[in-house]
Amino acid sequence: MRPFKYSTINDIKSATNRLATNDNARYLAGGTNILDLMKEDVERPDELVDISRLKLAAVQPITTGANKGGISIGALGKNTETANHPLIRQAYPLLSQAILAGASAQIRNMATNGGNLNQRTRCPYFYEVSMPCNKREPGSGCGALKGINRMHAIFGWSEKCVAVHPSDMCIALVALDAIVNVQGPNGQQRSIPFEDYHRLPGDNPEKDNTLNPGELITSIHIPRNNFADRSYYLKVRDRASYAFALVSVGAALEMNGSNILTARIALGGVAHKPWRAKEAENFLAGKPATVENFRRAAEMEMKNAMTLEHNDFKVELGTRAIVRALSQAMKGGKHEELPA
Amino acid sequence: MSEPIKTVGQGINRVDGFLKVTGAARYATDYPVKNLAHAVIFKSTVAAGEILAIDTIEAEKAPGVLSVITHQNAPKLNPNGGLRGGGLLQETKIHFHGQHIGVVVAETFEQARYASRLVKVEYSKQTPRTDFEKLEKEASTPKDKDKADIVRGDVDTAFSSAEFKLDVVYETPIEHHHPMEPHSTIAVWEGEKLTLYNGSQIVNGAQSSAANTLNIPAANVRIVTPHIGGGFGSKGGQWANLVLTAIAAKMVNRPVKLALTRQQMVNSAGLRQRNLQRIRLAATKEGKLTVLAHETTTHCAMNGEFVEPCGDCSKVMYEVPNAKIAYKVVPMNLILPTYTRGPGKATGSFALESAMDELAHQLKLDPIEFRIKNEPARDPLNGKPFSSRTTVQCLQAGAKAFGWEKRKMEPGTNQHGDYMVGYGVAAGTYPARQRDSSAMIRLNRTGKDIKATIELAASDLGTGTHTIIAQTAADGLGIPVSNIDVRIGDSALPPAAGSVGSVGAASFANAVNDACIKITDELILKSGKQFPVRPMASALMASENLKEFQTRVDAKPSPEADNYSCHSFNANFAEVWVNAATGMVKVHRFLAVTGAGKILNPKTARSQIIGGNIWGIGMALTEESVVDPRYGNFVTRSFADYHIPANLDIGTLDTIFIDEDDPITNKLGVKGIGEVSIVGVAAAVANAIYNATGIRVRDLPITPDKLIRKV
Repeated sequence: MRPFKYSTINDIKSATNRLATNDNARYLAGGTNILDLMKEDVERPDELVDISRLKLAAVQPITTGANKGGISIGALGKNTETANHPLIRQAYPLLSQAILAGASAQIRNMATNGGNLNQRTRCPYFYEVSMPCNKREPGSGCGALKGINRMHAIFGWSEKCVAVHPSDMCIALVALDAIVNVQGPNGQQRSIPFEDYHRLPGDNPEKDNTLNPGELITSIHIPRNNFADRSYYLKVRDRASYAFALVSVGAALEMNGSNILTARIALGGVAHKPWRAKEAENFLAGKPATVENFRRAAEMEMKNAMTLEHNDFKVELGTRAIVRALSQAMKGGKHEELPA
Repeated sequence: MSEPIKTVGQGINRVDGFLKVTGAARYATDYPVKNLAHAVIFKSTVAAGEILAIDTIEAEKAPGVLSVITHQNAPKLNPNGGLRGGGLLQETKIHFHGQHIGVVVAETFEQARYASRLVKVEYSKQTPRTDFEKLEKEASTPKDKDKADIVRGDVDTAFSSAEFKLDVVYETPIEHHHPMEPHSTIAVWEGEKLTLYNGSQIVNGAQSSAANTLNIPAANVRIVTPHIGGGFGSKGGQWANLVLTAIAAKMVNRPVKLALTRQQMVNSAGLRQRNLQRIRLAATKEGKLTVLAHETTTHCAMNGEFVEPCGDCSKVMYEVPNAKIAYKVVPMNLILPTYTRGPGKATGSFALESAMDELAHQLKLDPIEFRIKNEPARDPLNGKPFSSRTTVQCLQAGAKAFGWEKRKMEPGTNQHGDYMVGYGVAAGTYPARQRDSSAMIRLNRTGKDIKATIELAASDLGTGTHTIIAQTAADGLGIPVSNIDVRIGDSALPPAAGSVGSVGAASFANAVNDACIKITDELILKSGKQFPVRPMASALMASENLKEFQTRVDAKPSPEADNYSCHSFNANFAEVWVNAATGMVKVHRFLAVTGAGKILNPKTARSQIIGGNIWGIGMALTEESVVDPRYGNFVTRSFADYHIPANLDIGTLDTIFIDEDDPITNKLGVKGIGEVSIVGVAAAVANAIYNATGIRVRDLPITPDKLIRKV
């Protein structure tokens, strides 16, 4: 491993200042991704600023302001604690299901909420320094574009990068219109709508998100909603646990009688960012919650896909997954168990 | 007289279980060696070409670095000394991506790894030969004489006139062994003597190949390997990392530890080759097979040939008058393929047993009935009688236990809500053999307390070798297991067979049993007495008032076994649930019925069987090593990308052993189960998926995308 400086800090200001003065420094929280990347020589920071002592772990109701009645999730809360928190399980089961669909129990025990947002793609070309990758080394080319791209994007990719964002948690958060609260080096705070937090690769795939240098996630807010009875996270993957999504769907419905008042649909495993299926959502608003409507909505969204050599199956799979996730949401969103 | 001890056949706990669960069991790199330096291998980043220059100046200046070894300064080694796969730093030519091109030795692992990244290598690159889909057309007959065509009858004529037939290609991908313990070694020189702590399935083989490669006498090399964290064939023949550790230790004049990383495992210790298997199968309308042609096309390395015998099951499974087994191979810029659990049989049975299922469906026959109709009376290949054969028993006992009658003959007709349910069956086989093994027994008595030490250079992959040796000795000597000290995994001990090819249990147990008989004979002789009932060695130690006694035996397989065809057999049953929307498959229930002679320990045997079953399920559903042909590099280099089954993938696993007494195969009738446990598994799962969905997937693994493309 490259030699690097390790420092611990006790307040947000010191943390953001350190990163503001050193472009080559990185925050260290759970360490489940950055340490792997350093071992493989993909990330090469010369300083790790350990933020794990900051008091940013709480999950608590929001009692004031625009999102009053919603919930605030601390950036340093562990994924496991967040998923199993009674308030999350009751009022935001989509988030709970999504988190538990990700990684392994061991990783979720270490990984933090903020770190989940900031994890890097698992594109194998990004992970292997002998192969080209514009995200790792701008200008070196995209290995996956004409390479092995079964796991890669079908929406919003560019010639520079076809990687996908790996998170499950973020699919739920984008579906639930979460807000990412960050603090910058001079103490200034801002709130970023979740949909604007991650970015598409364009000409700068090295940038995963819209954070400014030194900015630190302090919390994630989820506005109050009426989706708790009808939401479902469906993850289609090559094995039943500890595998990234081929396609995943976070679906949530609020009903007005037998008609859909609001539908939220987000897709994972399809784009450089958590992908909101807005066309499908708009189509469903005001319509009866029928499988036929779900299918039409799904097809409407998936027709915009641009597939690569090995991932054309994601169009059909994504269509089916949307229909199934919405159908499961209508049934109350419980995970199915096979009979014994 | 004490009660006779009877532990063989009992499912006693592992004698090394306590050491394992407390972490006290030592694996190769756990040995506490003083003054240890750490080595990291660095590898070629091109798949074909030549090294023009290696600049190690910066690496040598890095903190903690003791030495940087490349072809420029490596000692001369014998590249034909018995190590597999090349990468001994003796040449500038690059045969595959990830070929070892150097070693950095430093005070710490982290320093060595950092310095390895400061090495600058200049190559002349060639276009790599790594696109199997294009190159398979160039494949030709292997040099290996065992892979020469075997032909019986007239396949082409019989096939063209057959009414019920099938001519299809089954494909299996590259797989990796990926034992939990990656290949790792500690090398310690004391003068001319070298000790290598190293996971070695064949202890004496590791010793001779290390010695031959280093051009030193075998007597100067000691291999120590009491516990191994899995090998599955990849630690049978040894690879360059073994000797690179030794030369690193020599060059820095200190003990050196070298452990490969998971990512390095993809091109350091072999692989299971990708196979295209064309099967032509034909039968009469009554369901009698008339043709079986099994033709395999695969790849080997540019710097070596290895072809796994995919046609082996087709040689012995069914009575068929017109048969052909053939192979073609094409060299590619990939590491040398090697033995991988159930070599040729795991993959070959996927093709054969899928084809049997397909033809049974055509014939509207139950696939079990179809198999039983074609059961051979003798080995169809050589006409030898089987020493024992349990295929029919396995199929019938399994059908009963599994509830086979619940299977719907018509595929895609068993719907449970969103799931399609299917049942599949497949049979399998693996040769049963005993190999030469010596064993030493030392008896020590203190008062009434008699202890035995059993010594042989066997190895324990984690399968329970320590335990079955202790059980065999306990019964043979009349001493409780708790008083038996099993010493294995050391080339300084009497030479023994390897834990490879399912020969371990038969070879070790028979050697130890022979030694027990011999030591008892010698004690009787020493006593000068006549006994109405043959006494146990333990009783003789006491009655003759002996403090110490020892003997050694050099056990050999009986020549009679050569007159017979000796095999383990099995039948595998799978129930799958396929999600109709997502194509995700869950193996809800799996049953393996095995006829493998005497089961020395049903508990460890069950563990070994279900281990093979799980790998077979992984083979069917998830495991695949993928090469990007432009670079010749794998894109599946970690467990995040190479999907071995997780707990959630595996439903209920059941194991049945058929009671079988086969004194012909060997004296104890032990057949071995390590390999047969994976044979037929993937086919059973694939056949169950067909039964569930009506979709026949002939290329593994059967991932959701392959199913939804066709639903």
